Amino acid sequence: MKRRANLFALAIATFFSFSAIAQNVTGVVSDAATGEPIPSVSVKEKGTNNAAITNFDGKYSIKAGKNAVLVFSSMGYASEESTVSGNSLNVSLSISSDKLDEVVVTAFGISRDKKSIGYAVQEVGGAEVSKVKDVNFMSSLSGKVAGVNIKQSGTMGGSANVVIRGYKSLTGNNQALFVVDGIPISNQITNTSNQTTGRGGYDYGNAAMDINPEDIDKVSVLKGAAATALYGARAANGVILITTKKGSAKKGLGISISSGYNVGTFNPSTFVRYQNEYGQGYGPYYGPDTINGVWTEAKMTAFDVDGDGVDDICDPTGDDASYGMRYDPNLQKYGWNSLFPELSTYQQTQAHVAGANDPRSFWETAITTNNSVAVDGGSENGTFRVSATQFRTTGISPNSSLNRNNFSFSGSQNLSDRLTVSTTASYIQQGAVGRMGTGYDNRNPNQSFRQWYDVGVDILEQRAAYETTGKNLSWNAYGYGAARPLAPHYFDNPYFSHYENYSSDSRDRIMGNIMTNYKINDWLDFMGRASVDTYSAIEEERQAVGGVDPARYIRRNRSVSETNIDLVLTANKNFGDFSFNGNLGSNIRRNEVSNITASTNGGLVVPGVYALSNSANAPEAPSESAYNIGVNGLFARASLGYKDYLYVDVTGRQDVSSTLPSDNNSFFYPSATVSLVFSELMDVDAVNFGKFRANYAQVGADAPAQALANAYNMGTPFGSANLASAPNTDANAGLLPESTNSTEIGLEMMLFDNRFGFDLSYYNQVSENQIMPARVSSSTGSIFKYVNAGVIQNQGIEASINFTPVRTKDFEWNINANYTRNRNEVVSLFEGAENLQLAGVQGGITIEARPGEAYGAIYGISHERDAEGRPIVYDNVLYSRGRGGGVRYLRGEKAVLGNINPDWFGGLNNSFRYKNWTASALIDVSWGGDFFSLDTYYGYATGIYDLTAGLNDAGNPIRNSVYDADYQVHGGGGAGGLRFTGVSYWDGSVDADGNNDYSNNTVDVDANGDPLYGDMSFYSNVLGYSRGVAEYHVWDASYVKLREVALQYSVPADLLGQTGIKGLDVSLVGRNLAILWKANPYSDPEAGLSAGNVQGNQSGAYPAVREVGVKVNLKF
Amino acid sequence: MKKLFTAASAALLIASCTSDLSSLNENGKAPVQVPAGTLIANATVDLSDYLASINVNENNFTLWAQHWTQTTYTDESNYNYNQRDVNGNTFDALYANVLRDLNDAKGIISADDALPAAEKANQLAICDLLQVYTYHVLVDIHNDVPYSEALTDDVTPKYDDAAIIYADLIARILTAHGTLSGDNGLGAYDLVYGGDSDAWKKFAASLALKLAVRSADYDSDGTYGAKEVGEAALAAGVFTSSADNASLAYTSSPPHTNPLWDDLVQSGRTDFCASNTMAGVMNAHNDPRRAVYFRNLDSLGDLTGGVYGQNSAYNSHSQPGDALEDPTLAAHFMSFGEVSFLTADAANRGWNVQAGTAAEHYENGIRASMAQWGVSTTDADAYMAQTTVAWDASKANELLGTQKWLSMYMRGNEAYNTVRQYDYPAMNIADVAQRLPPNRMSYGVDEYSLNTTNVSAANGGSDDDTDKVFWDVN
Repeated sequence: MKRRANLFALAIATFFSFSAIAQNVTGVVSDAATGEPIPSVSVKEKGTNNAAITNFDGKYSIKAGKNAVLVFSSMGYASEESTVSGNSLNVSLSISSDKLDEVVVTAFGISRDKKSIGYAVQEVGGAEVSKVKDVNFMSSLSGKVAGVNIKQSGTMGGSANVVIRGYKSLTGNNQALFVVDGIPISNQITNTSNQTTGRGGYDYGNAAMDINPEDIDKVSVLKGAAATALYGARAANGVILITTKKGSAKKGLGISISSGYNVGTFNPSTFVRYQNEYGQGYGPYYGPDTINGVWTEAKMTAFDVDGDGVDDICDPTGDDASYGMRYDPNLQKYGWNSLFPELSTYQQTQAHVAGANDPRSFWETAITTNNSVAVDGGSENGTFRVSATQFRTTGISPNSSLNRNNFSFSGSQNLSDRLTVSTTASYIQQGAVGRMGTGYDNRNPNQSFRQWYDVGVDILEQRAAYETTGKNLSWNAYGYGAARPLAPHYFDNPYFSHYENYSSDSRDRIMGNIMTNYKINDWLDFMGRASVDTYSAIEEERQAVGGVDPARYIRRNRSVSETNIDLVLTANKNFGDFSFNGNLGSNIRRNEVSNITASTNGGLVVPGVYALSNSANAPEAPSESAYNIGVNGLFARASLGYKDYLYVDVTGRQDVSSTLPSDNNSFFYPSATVSLVFSELMDVDAVNFGKFRANYAQVGADAPAQALANAYNMGTPFGSANLASAPNTDANAGLLPESTNSTEIGLEMMLFDNRFGFDLSYYNQVSENQIMPARVSSSTGSIFKYVNAGVIQNQGIEASINFTPVRTKDFEWNINANYTRNRNEVVSLFEGAENLQLAGVQGGITIEARPGEAYGAIYGISHERDAEGRPIVYDNVLYSRGRGGGVRYLRGEKAVLGNINPDWFGGLNNSFRYKNWTASALIDVSWGGDFFSLDTYYGYATGIYDLTAGLNDAGNPIRNSVYDADYQVHGGGGAGGLRFTGVSYWDGSVDADGNNDYSNNTVDVDANGDPLYGDMSFYSNVLGYSRGVAEYHVWDASYVKLREVALQYSVPADLLGQTGIKGLDVSLVGRNLAILWKANPYSDPEAGLSAGNVQGNQSGAYPAVREVGVKVNLKF
Repeated sequence: MKKLFTAASAALLIASCTSDLSSLNENGKAPVQVPAGTLIANATVDLSDYLASINVNENNFTLWAQHWTQTTYTDESNYNYNQRDVNGNTFDALYANVLRDLNDAKGIISADDALPAAEKANQLAICDLLQVYTYHVLVDIHNDVPYSEALTDDVTPKYDDAAIIYADLIARILTAHGTLSGDNGLGAYDLVYGGDSDAWKKFAASLALKLAVRSADYDSDGTYGAKEVGEAALAAGVFTSSADNASLAYTSSPPHTNPLWDDLVQSGRTDFCASNTMAGVMNAHNDPRRAVYFRNLDSLGDLTGGVYGQNSAYNSHSQPGDALEDPTLAAHFMSFGEVSFLTADAANRGWNVQAGTAAEHYENGIRASMAQWGVSTTDADAYMAQTTVAWDASKANELLGTQKWLSMYMRGNEAYNTVRQYDYPAMNIADVAQRLPPNRMSYGVDEYSLNTTNVSAANGGSDDDTDKVFWDVN
């Protein structure tokens, strides 16, 4: 075997090389900047297959004829050509500054010359993602890559929504596939549907966030179907390909240490601005108008607190709104803190005023530390790298923290000239305590702070009450006159909630691979690789005894694993002007997922013990689920190049999937690309590089697991009777594979000495035959039914621009900008269905896919509008106590109120280098798109926002009755209410058919010419959820953010001298420092609940966190 | 070289080998076949949970009947049911949960060759009775609903005429009635009667009586056959005592507690209090059930009711009574008291009720309710002795309406039906909505987007909630 192979090699060498008189040429290849030798540089005799490679000292030896031209090339360096003139030839290479010879990593880790690629690939260096670090490294890509839309959820360790080139699947996964060193890694988002639709829970993050940014060498984003055809179905959403740092051959060891410290504070421009004029309650119905001689307008509770036989004035503490009595510092009343015997304020009256500290004082300083050590080394026979990173962060909520430890190893060993074995392995341990509760849930403090709150509460007094007693002394106790006055009604003391009702979770994960490369001959390589990503996770949630919600302990155990076995043959061969490069490979993938959730039932026996055995009633049977997926794939790729300027690629893949019916489980999908480097064909000085590319690709996809056959749900027995129910989603045994077809064209150019470059793409993707659980009329007996239906289209333009306005020896200014405009359209659904509900959220709002609209339409009750588009208002009913009256918006039909997709998004990064200083600032823009705010929908009704108080345009309190008969301020004038402008007034007339007749409408005035006022006198006001229109609470989601700022100083080598330190960088970094533009005054437009298909819904949104920090990198 | 090629191609072939991948897709955690009894029991619980619920997302009829009003958040008291998609949720609960499970159960029973023929027939009859009951609830809420094409592979079932559905339901009851006898073999799965088909037989007759009496006003010319059905049902034997009640006894621990307990106790909320409508009627009649139905009575033992539809402070009004806070409180599908009122109505219409007078059956109805809530016979007698309560055929609708409405406490659907049928007691105009209760519930928004053509054609093309259901002709 070996002998034959050698003979074969010899034959080739003989055939190609003996035309000239050969001699042995030796030399050293070194880095032009540092003088350090460069190992693994390819040394080739031009025009032949004669080649050698440098050893770890940078030395090479090659037989070459006199006057032969040697080409030296190495990844990251500009190639160099030199003519042999003797026996020795030393060469120095410069770091590549242009795109000409750039090598990019593509599917299956195949490195290819960028010029030969007929589709869009964008790379981001490791430094870019670790420079200004986020707990979720994906967030660090925001604004940096065209076509990639990233949205952060806003909680500590929360998930990031990463969607490349738009939503392509109606109900399936739309998140990008993450591949690390060839290992497709789980990016499961396991948040419950209650969590994602805003009904409460915790965002446990997405699994791909385990990747350690310190270990990333580079990130390659494969956007289109052509780029990803070889990865199979899952890659239809694009692939984020991560190459981790590897060891390099050198003398001794390379040691690098990195340490960072960040401080995060909440951004007040993304939080509520509270009114401070009115107290607790919903309106005038708690007690008599006059209590103990004081006019309280029925907004205070009458109760004899001190037992003197006379009713006292008390806050209606059981209610969670601020539509109460007007504050008056001269009025003494009893409040929540007068209720509890444990407090010094017990049975003490206080002045009737707003709380001294509003919920802004609730947010704490978040601290993040990051320490990392990496050691690498190697010889000509092999290299290794080990690293350990410790990451710690706390959230802005009390009692929240997350720790992550990453340990990784990578190594490779050359077992012979032909055989190389390499491996990478990482162990990741993540644990969090006190994740920040999300959505409409008591465990999310924002449910109260943004929606249901009493602005009379001093939040620090709540803290003191919890800290001194350890009890749930809530501002929202049922209060005076109630059966259980001290028990919390709707809301717990938020500190009790954070310290006693908390979650904890941990994930232990191993991912790694073993790979062999065998060089069969000089044009054929074989690669075999086995990889695994496996983790087990536990999530525990607690509800303490004494809270609003029943005491409870829930635990979820989850195990997830994916194994892949890949075998790939790679051929590289040149024939005269033609070059051939191709692969033939197979992939075997197996996924196993299992979950079990168990919970106590009906409370806890012993408070504070969170164990299933501590359940007050027998626990229900745990809910279990488990599924497996197996996919076997065969693929082939052939790339033909002509004269370094024309490349044609074709690929094909055949998959067999376990999730499809066995007689229809095999599907094939092809792609073809072409790349023309036209700059090679023209001789224009200004043009350094120019490439046109085009491609067509198809990607097939299988079904979700277990969608072919119905299975019954077993319920908790009723007494001795076992229960089972039919599934709400009907399976379908006749599913067919899905397919996505895409076309793309692109133009890349580098101009003016490589100082100006751009990359433009246009793409069009159509996903058809989608497998989805379509909503059907429940009168069919099912709520959903799996079907093959639906077409969704994404078309878009991406542009990225690199510009270097100034480049001198000491000073350089670089501008990088990118722009993405994606147009998504849901073309059709199931059998003419008019909508596919992605989620029903509160406020009567649904997030939908509707034909003719972009995916993620926000659908709900609209404003009825006149022909000019002005919202119509009409006379409100006047009900009891002078409330109501004035005008209110007329509710129209349910309609599309907005859409989750931005019109366009992009980033602008300016970076400057002056000698050893570098500075950069990234501005991240997302323009257009909308979100529904449940926060203002409820919060305007409960009167906590500044907009619900103060004076109107006539100088009267907005909260006064719009009539003169005033119930708001004793003895005061009326004429309150909010002035309505930009509206069309309808006098209530109807036509002969009984339809509204708007022909007599007047603009901004009523039929008498008087200005229009809407009632704001109590919780059923004209803006809030009760009388208002949902459309009013749909906000523009545009933003311009100062995303990242970094200033770095690299200590010059001569200063470091003999310290043994090879490099020392110190950086000051800032992240999310400012929102330069947004529409909603009270929240971060980016804030959401969770990654996934349900976006555009703010329910108890967290404020944004500004981070500033320092980072030190040391190299030995 | 060649060997290596061979090895590589072999490896590639292995990858392409389709070892039986399909088996990976099996669900190891959920069965594809279950005993039919598990589905029947589940449907029974789901149906009862729907009927007993006072959750504003699921069932608003205790509010629509104005037994209660809401304290702080008054949307549902003001008949805003679209916001929470209560109509859509009703379809989901009754079709996709109750009717579907019963359909699957029928399929399993029919296919079970090992099941003795008598048990098979009995079980199928019980499934059918539960389906009939469920459909009559749907018709009473909406009028026309999907029926003949419902629960099939047709994803856009047409809406059938309500009166025709009722007629078919009656026919199904009669068929079931003819089949039922002896032990049905369901044992503990029969959560209502513990396997006793003879009890189900009485239930069938009682249900037939109910549908007959309900459609009596519609059948003004006698062509619908309401009288014949009612008389046949009474002749066949309806409930004769509260021991015959069709009810579900809830368990003491979640999840199978009475839904009232979930919403009144477990939730810790204070959303409901007595309405002024309820207070007006009960106080006027010195109703001894006041202290059971409610707590926080005034010093005279009177209810303090909140103005219907207006905000009412919980603490200063009468609140749902302690008796409702029992997680094991039984919920009724049909009771002897209800059947007594139906018989009284039938007798008052001059139907042959076999035995007893309208007055006697009317009094039985009141007595059964008093006994159900633990009121003493003495107090019940004193109550009935009042001239405003005592039977008087000249004001039959007022008496039947008012007393049945009072006795249907915590059976929101039936209390609401009673008001619609008899137009007594008088309902108040909701304070904020400024309207009387709807006469029916409009269809949910999902039907309009998923079954557009058919829902648009229902009820002759009108879906206003001021339209009346077919039997509400007065």
